[in-house]
Amino acid sequence: MAHLTDGTLRRMVDDPDARAGDDAAHLEGCTECRGRFEGISDDAHSVASLLAVPEAPVEVARAFDRLRSTPASRQRSVLRLPLMRPSSRPVVLAFAAVIAGVALVAGVVARDYSLNYTPNTVTTVPVTVADMQALSQLSNYGDVTWTRQPQLQAATSASDAEALAGMTAPTVSNLPSTISTNITYGAMTQAEAVFTFSAAKAQAAAAAQGKALPALPAGMDGATLTIKVGPAIGEIYGDLQKPAAGSDISQMTLPQLVVVKSSAPSATSTQVTVKQIEDYVLAQPGITPELKAALNAIGDPSTTLLIPIPVQYATSKDVTVQGVKGVALGDNTGVGAGVIWVKNGVVYAVAGSIKQDDAITIANNLK
Amino acid sequence: MNLGARSMSTVRSDDEAFEDLFTAEYARVVGIANRVLADSHEAEDVAQEVFIDFHRLHSATAQYAPAWLHRAAAHASLNRLRGARRRQKREVAQALEEGERTLDPQKQLEVDEDRRHVRAALSRLAPKPAAALAMRASGLSYAEVAQALGVGIGQVGTLLRRAEAALRKEVTRGTSN
Repeated sequence: MAHLTDGTLRRMVDDPDARAGDDAAHLEGCTECRGRFEGISDDAHSVASLLAVPEAPVEVARAFDRLRSTPASRQRSVLRLPLMRPSSRPVVLAFAAVIAGVALVAGVVARDYSLNYTPNTVTTVPVTVADMQALSQLSNYGDVTWTRQPQLQAATSASDAEALAGMTAPTVSNLPSTISTNITYGAMTQAEAVFTFSAAKAQAAAAAQGKALPALPAGMDGATLTIKVGPAIGEIYGDLQKPAAGSDISQMTLPQLVVVKSSAPSATSTQVTVKQIEDYVLAQPGITPELKAALNAIGDPSTTLLIPIPVQYATSKDVTVQGVKGVALGDNTGVGAGVIWVKNGVVYAVAGSIKQDDAITIANNLK
Repeated sequence: MNLGARSMSTVRSDDEAFEDLFTAEYARVVGIANRVLADSHEAEDVAQEVFIDFHRLHSATAQYAPAWLHRAAAHASLNRLRGARRRQKREVAQALEEGERTLDPQKQLEVDEDRRHVRAALSRLAPKPAAALAMRASGLSYAEVAQALGVGIGQVGTLLRRAEAALRKEVTRGTSN
């Protein structure tokens, strides 16, 4: 039998379950492993004593009262992307959530309600995690219903994905040799969500944050914002890794390469203009000054797809991809980079644990 | 609190479920943060953050709730520790002065130094081994640590070993200077 690993020996120090069976028998009879075990055990006990602290006094009831009395506007959050929910869903769903989030931002800032909003260029909006969370709080101000649920399916081949999504799958024509050719396809049918403003809900939400509801424009109560997303096809190269429970961005393992193609999201409204909805949303308690500034900085959002980028995680720059303006994210360290662009009403994204230069090259050669 | 019996007799609202979760897990969340930060007030602040964050994004009835909270507590407190590095340097200088006034200055100084070194080293570790160590040291079982980090139980031993070897080396080096 091979010698025991450091990890196994470490567990034997203080995990009763580990001291059983073949491993325990091996340790008994192996001088070398016993020697290593002594050292590992010694380190473990030494570190345990160094980490020893007086127990923190715990008063649960008092702590819960403190939590309840914390105004939402003062709540701080640890760094975590809300889109990456812990779950057993495949990564492609996380990307669909990103696309949906993008559509939501795009919908909120689209100014012209009489036309279908279809962006033809992209720009990034630096946001804090708190900003992203503020967006997810939109449901506090009305009802979000899926009039057409997004149907997400994994497909085993490009042709299956094409059949599900009703669009052609993108093809990477110059895959770097370091990237796995093991491709997982995902397809999403077109989905439609309707957000209906509710004055009563908004009132309650504002009151819960200890703030007054901003004056309600005529027609705002019951006004609807309809957002269509997809269809879309995603291709994931390399091994699929599920996000683990409580994933934060520093723990996420990006797939080697992800290519997404999606119809550009569209937004329409009833009763009031989308511009009015935008203004009203921006006036809600809980929307940070940073996001307001960022949204207001966008010159003509009716033609621009906004990509929310957490300020601390990514840098972006404008690039030309396939003859149109796109946005490149990340850097050349290979930790993670991506390119997003819109051409002929279709949004494309190429991202992965690759260098930005490689992402741009792949993007330019995407068929 | 017996969650099972309660959920059978009444339909619990989200708020009630959250309060139950808070009651069940608060002490452990504080415990993890306290182990990392060695400061009970700061640990309580971290616990507040973690629960607020959870409440905003997740349902209290989710099966993954305890695992999520443990992991978040470890990462949030480690993040604070990293942010506090600069401040700690200042405190070390202060402690050196204070140490000179204690009854057994040499011994006290050594203990304090070791503790600071180990926390400074903890803040430099890769997030996963550091989180595994923080959770295990605060009393979570191997199975609970594995669940919180989304790894197999076998890997927890490897992560702990990596963290402890690095910390031991760091402290030995620190005190021999």
